[in-house]
Amino acid sequence: MSRRSQLLKGVLEGCILAIINQQPTYGYELSVKLLEFGLSDVSEGSIYPILLRLQKEELIKGTMQKSEFGPKRKYYHLTDLGQEALAEFTHQWNSIKTPVDSILTKGGEKE
Amino acid sequence: MNSKDIIKLNNEMREQLSPENKEIYEDMLVYIRLNSNKSEQQTEELLYELLEHILQGQKIGKTPKDIFGDDLRKYCDEIIDEIPGEVKSTKLIFGSYIIIYYLGVTSTMYGVLGYALYHLFSIGTNTFTFSLGSGIVTIIIELLILYVFLTSVFKWLKNSVLKEKKINKWVEFIQIWVICMVFIGIIILIPIIMPSFGTEITIPIVLFAFTGVILFFVAYLLNKKYRITK
Repeated sequence: MSRRSQLLKGVLEGCILAIINQQPTYGYELSVKLLEFGLSDVSEGSIYPILLRLQKEELIKGTMQKSEFGPKRKYYHLTDLGQEALAEFTHQWNSIKTPVDSILTKGGEKE
Repeated sequence: MNSKDIIKLNNEMREQLSPENKEIYEDMLVYIRLNSNKSEQQTEELLYELLEHILQGQKIGKTPKDIFGDDLRKYCDEIIDEIPGEVKSTKLIFGSYIIIYYLGVTSTMYGVLGYALYHLFSIGTNTFTFSLGSGIVTIIIELLILYVFLTSVFKWLKNSVLKEKKINKWVEFIQIWVICMVFIGIIILIPIIMPSFGTEITIPIVLFAFTGVILFFVAYLLNKKYRITK
């Protein structure tokens, strides 16, 4: 596993939790939303191994439901454990976002 | 929704795939389905999601490789890794079903053939004598061989899909033919070379057919109750 994809995986997990938290989402819809947000560097299929892992860890739960238009789909929603994980991710992300950004843009030099 | 219902839905939806996409998807399906110790429910839910994703991609001109990456085998391996294992009780029911069904087939065939040969052509005897000890050992060994046979066929099938270079159909045919012949050969050979030990029992051959039918019925009930094959 390359370093790049390790980083991406963790971030992607957080993003997936955040999107599902907005409203119950099915697989294809989720990949479209990630693309719309500009995460186009991620191959679409990479969400499925992550969705499986999140289900195993009981952060999300999927149920086959009738969709308004079109066929039955597996909709995911967050569990209580998932809510906690999302809160933790958001907290961690917020605490590193600004420092990492400024380190990268200023090449690590202090003003 | 039960896995068998999802399979049905999958079969219907699959018809909407273009010929090229269908070929690729069915390869992925075989490759992912043939992992016998994975949860069937989770496997089918996932396969259904992948199908829908390919169908949606097809509408905007995306190929499965655009969606899942160029190395489909690697992608499937990654997914299989994450599918949870099958629940123990489900495994147990499935195993018992296979065993009962197999014994049903063997016993019915033996009984009917033996009965017909004796009464129509006066070949063989009307009764069957066997030793209890070696009988039981034979059955256990044959079941173990059946297990090895099924796992090797699964492995062989799994290996035959998602290949960049297609193998010659004849080579494939001969490979699977050899596996089957070896299996049948061993199954026939074992009762012949098994030394007899334990109490000797003599029963009318037609009793085999009766036992077989009863086993079939038990297998049928199991299947109906737990939806093993449909």
